[in-house]
Amino acid sequence: MSKIKNLNLKGHLLTAISYLIPIVCGAGFLIAIGMAFGGTSQSELIQGEFTIWDALATMGGAGLGLLPVVISTGISYSIAGKPGIAPGFIIGLTANAIGAGFIGGILGGFLAGYLAVAILKHFKVPKWAKGLMPTLIIPFFTSIIGGLIMVYVIGLPVAGFTSLLTNALEGLGSSSLLVFGAIVGLLSGVDFGGPINKTVFAFVLTMQAEGINGPITALQLVNTATPIGFGLAYFIAKLFGKKIYTPVEKETLKSAVPMGVINIVEGVIPIVMNDIVRCVIAVAIGGAAGGATSMVLGADATVPFGGVLMLPTMSQPWTGAVAILVNVLVTGIALALIKKNVTEEDVKAQEEVEEDDIDLDDIQIY
Amino acid sequence: MKIVGVAACTVGIAHTYIAQEKLENAGKKAGHEISVETQGTIGTESELTQEQIAEADIVIIAADVKIAGRERFEGKRIIQVTTEIAVKSPNKLIEKAVEVVNQKN
Repeated sequence: MSKIKNLNLKGHLLTAISYLIPIVCGAGFLIAIGMAFGGTSQSELIQGEFTIWDALATMGGAGLGLLPVVISTGISYSIAGKPGIAPGFIIGLTANAIGAGFIGGILGGFLAGYLAVAILKHFKVPKWAKGLMPTLIIPFFTSIIGGLIMVYVIGLPVAGFTSLLTNALEGLGSSSLLVFGAIVGLLSGVDFGGPINKTVFAFVLTMQAEGINGPITALQLVNTATPIGFGLAYFIAKLFGKKIYTPVEKETLKSAVPMGVINIVEGVIPIVMNDIVRCVIAVAIGGAAGGATSMVLGADATVPFGGVLMLPTMSQPWTGAVAILVNVLVTGIALALIKKNVTEEDVKAQEEVEEDDIDLDDIQIY
Repeated sequence: MKIVGVAACTVGIAHTYIAQEKLENAGKKAGHEISVETQGTIGTESELTQEQIAEADIVIIAADVKIAGRERFEGKRIIQVTTEIAVKSPNKLIEKAVEVVNQKN
């Protein structure tokens, strides 16, 4: 296990995703705007035969179509540094060509990165040929080995698996959608943008790259609704004559709620830290409700980020709005009900909260 | 003690900056000189100077992703954690850093 941990597979994937997100957001909005005004994404723009909306949709489509390449290049770069970029790019394109899609791109990225590192390490060249290493030897040998593995070994099974997964998800009935949405919502809510949330994000982003927008929409709507729910809870609790936040927490809410509106869930973390169990329960219940609503109604944003800005990219924006509303209400009511009244002592105690102990496995010292 | 650090998270808009703030506050509270560079989606901000790095007793990297410019810290004692740890237990992390520095001496 420790060996696997040392490989840091997740870290490489997350690095690639951090490069991917701005591309998906940019391209997603382009295609959404273009298609909203009747444009279509085309493989080629023929002079004089397209409208500006076709152009926008095509720009977006081109960007989204390259996601397997971006993820592959990002992973390979994360593993091997600059020498990883060229083979990651070529193997990513190969994954695209054989229809292995986003999952193929992920595997291809790891393949490219580790091959580049291995060649860098084991391939010894005389001094005069040092310049050939990064320009010819690594890109050529990594690409030919990795590319052929992609084409003849992993490409077809992965392509098969991807279409199986896609079909299975597209064929889900509404009760399965309910369960699936609830799980996505619950998992994304429980750690407020932390590692569980990001792992689920990587999973649902994979589906979006395959053209299934529902799961990622559910996830991000939950992230959007959670902080707003914290804000609403303040007012609901007030109705009951209950005070659930300390003055410091109220201040935190003033920035956390607007951050939530644009999809940044992390603003509420300081509040959650003060009362982890109750907050997580409320958020998980609300997230499950919101996620399920989103999936059942079929909210389908083409961008994976943006909070309420995602609404206009859905084929039916009201579906997303309803999902957010449900989630906000449920989280808000749950928080107002289960959070305790704040007393003077709590306010003082909060200044000296005990921190979690650091697990020695979680730190690396060099 | 002088501490430098780098914070970088996946999306690069929230955890990065929360980690920076928490580490800097915890460091100052414990009486250290600390500055933390952020590598968000917007790019590198509050970049560490060569001087700061040269003078630092220890480097704290709080990152979920590959950071840029790691070679700047070559030969330094480095503690690497995820941003989550820096956000959740900044004071303990600073204590740990002090411990690591003292071990060396």
